[in-house]
Amino acid sequence: MNAVVDFSVKPEARPYLDVFAETADEPDWLREARRISLNRFAELGFPTRRSENWRYLDLRSLERHPMLPSVMGQPMGVPSGLVLADSAARIVLIDGRFAPELSRLDLPDGCWFGSTRTAIEKRPDLVRAFAIDAGTEHPFASLSAAFFANGFVLEVGYGVSLDSPIEIVHLASGAGDASLHTRNMIELCHGSRATVVETYAGDGKYWRNDFALWRIEHEAALTRVALVEEAREATHFEDIDAVLLSERAKLDAFSLLLGGGTVRQEISVTVAGVDAECRIDGAFVVAGLEETNIVTAIDHGLPGGRTSELIKGVAVDQGHGAFQGKIIVRERAQKTDARQTSRNLILGRRASIDTKPELEILTDDVKCAHGASVGELDEAALFYLRARGIPTHEARRLLIEGFLREPIEGIADPAIREHLLGRLSLRLARLEDA
Amino acid sequence: MMLEIKSLHARPKDGREILKGIDLTVEAGEVHAIMGPNGSGKSTLASVLAGREGYEITEGSITYLGRDLLDMPADERAREGVFLAFQYPVEIPGVNNMYFLRAALNAARRHRGEPELDAGQFLRAVRAKLKLLEISEDLMQRAVNVGFSGGEKKRNEIFQMAMLEPRLAILDETDSGLDIDALRLVARGVNELRAPDRAIVMITHYQRLLSHVEPDRVHVLQGGRIVESGDKSLAAELERRGYGAVDAA
Repeated sequence: MNAVVDFSVKPEARPYLDVFAETADEPDWLREARRISLNRFAELGFPTRRSENWRYLDLRSLERHPMLPSVMGQPMGVPSGLVLADSAARIVLIDGRFAPELSRLDLPDGCWFGSTRTAIEKRPDLVRAFAIDAGTEHPFASLSAAFFANGFVLEVGYGVSLDSPIEIVHLASGAGDASLHTRNMIELCHGSRATVVETYAGDGKYWRNDFALWRIEHEAALTRVALVEEAREATHFEDIDAVLLSERAKLDAFSLLLGGGTVRQEISVTVAGVDAECRIDGAFVVAGLEETNIVTAIDHGLPGGRTSELIKGVAVDQGHGAFQGKIIVRERAQKTDARQTSRNLILGRRASIDTKPELEILTDDVKCAHGASVGELDEAALFYLRARGIPTHEARRLLIEGFLREPIEGIADPAIREHLLGRLSLRLARLEDA
Repeated sequence: MMLEIKSLHARPKDGREILKGIDLTVEAGEVHAIMGPNGSGKSTLASVLAGREGYEITEGSITYLGRDLLDMPADERAREGVFLAFQYPVEIPGVNNMYFLRAALNAARRHRGEPELDAGQFLRAVRAKLKLLEISEDLMQRAVNVGFSGGEKKRNEIFQMAMLEPRLAILDETDSGLDIDALRLVARGVNELRAPDRAIVMITHYQRLLSHVEPDRVHVLQGGRIVESGDKSLAAELERRGYGAVDAA
């Protein structure tokens, strides 16, 4: 059944409206949420380059060739080496759908971990928090709210400390050149801690469009690591809304973006607790015709917040990278300490990287520092390595790896750190085949 | 013959000629010192020998173990056994010392058709040589030369030389900026490497390293040419009379 709309529909949204079908087995409140979200997407359409948050990506091809939501998943195995050797629990989502035979859900008492579909039934209280997308600048988040197939929900209960990481593996089969939509949530209750590692990979052509809500309560600490190794023809959009709800809440986010035709990760953090802490680090490599765009916005509303960001990027061939980092410090957010660093290497005449810090400071008593640089490989270092017998291509790889290691080394868990360094090495080894 | 330099003329790209006809022959087993004032072309000679980009050879030849050295890129020269101890060792953030050294060692071993060292063999070799140069093992866990003192950087050069066991070692002002203890350690490392199948060329401004490492031959480089050669007594004589006197000679 087609949705009834009483406003103008953007032409690029039309094909998505046409395939929207009500899901009979869902509760009324969710069906309503999907309809509202679909209407919002229809009204907003695709973002254009005039929208500041999307100025660095070219969406025209996606606009011309609609990638309609996939109707069913294809069975796939988890590629070896891609995932952690050891994790407390794991959810595998294939084409946005839960794969129970590849997943392990057992977590200690006080935690809830499962697919979004199960949560609709068992924990509607949580799902209601992220079922509707309210943002106006986020048409694709609205699209995911209308069409999401599944996702995951993790709630870590009061005071529970999870030592081993929880792993989410997002796979895509590429069947039908479809779009895959998920909505996800992580909720850390008072005083709890958890590390979540999300890995993204796939084959062929697909458009992944995920949304996540993270809520971190009083003195809770979330570490979230993303490893993106999407297929060369894939589009990967990730839109994350994080809220540091209360005093001394802490978020450590790290992203290693190693592949995908178009990769965009947007993290918006609302600092709504006194003395809350937020770290967003990342490293990316773009090669061939790939483009990667990291967009962050940290909004400090209360005093004593700390933010640090370190993003390092390497562009080779005709790769294009972009980092946009907004930091807002509002009137009440005195004693905020924010620092942002963006360092980039460009290897190749046709490679490019844009970096755009944006600070909005509305109060006096703050420390805010930002720095950005775009440069080339250090010739002196390259000669030094070669003068020790290391072949030029290997020396270059060593230097690129050395450059990108810094943010990865900030990850506290040694097993995760080593895993990511290993994936980075493999990625850089492949660069030379190109 | 280990190294034969014939009528070598060289200049930096787009620059004036700095080496103006160097002739030098170094036999296996020998230690040579090339001394000279600032601006005489010492560092250019070291750079040209190691294969640093940015220099143009306008005339002459360098033959290393019967092969045309100038025909080989820098990394190949190193794998063939040419080692340059840098005057200013480069800091490389993010690249771990041990990792770097193992990559260097294995590149040479692959080149010679030898199996790569496993982690255990490598570590044993590292420990023995570190001890010789009194370098602490945690320094090796850091990034290459990052946070090293001047003396540590120079000792690290000699340590790398000890690990790589080159056929021809060129030490570019390795003694500059060293205190007496570091100088003694560096000298010990160099002396340890003296061998019948290896040659060492020390390029230096001062005579002080030469009182710890006795050279077989001493050459005076001035104005881009070797103007005088002699045995070790020449170094002491230069110390007494200065480079100016050679100029006058």
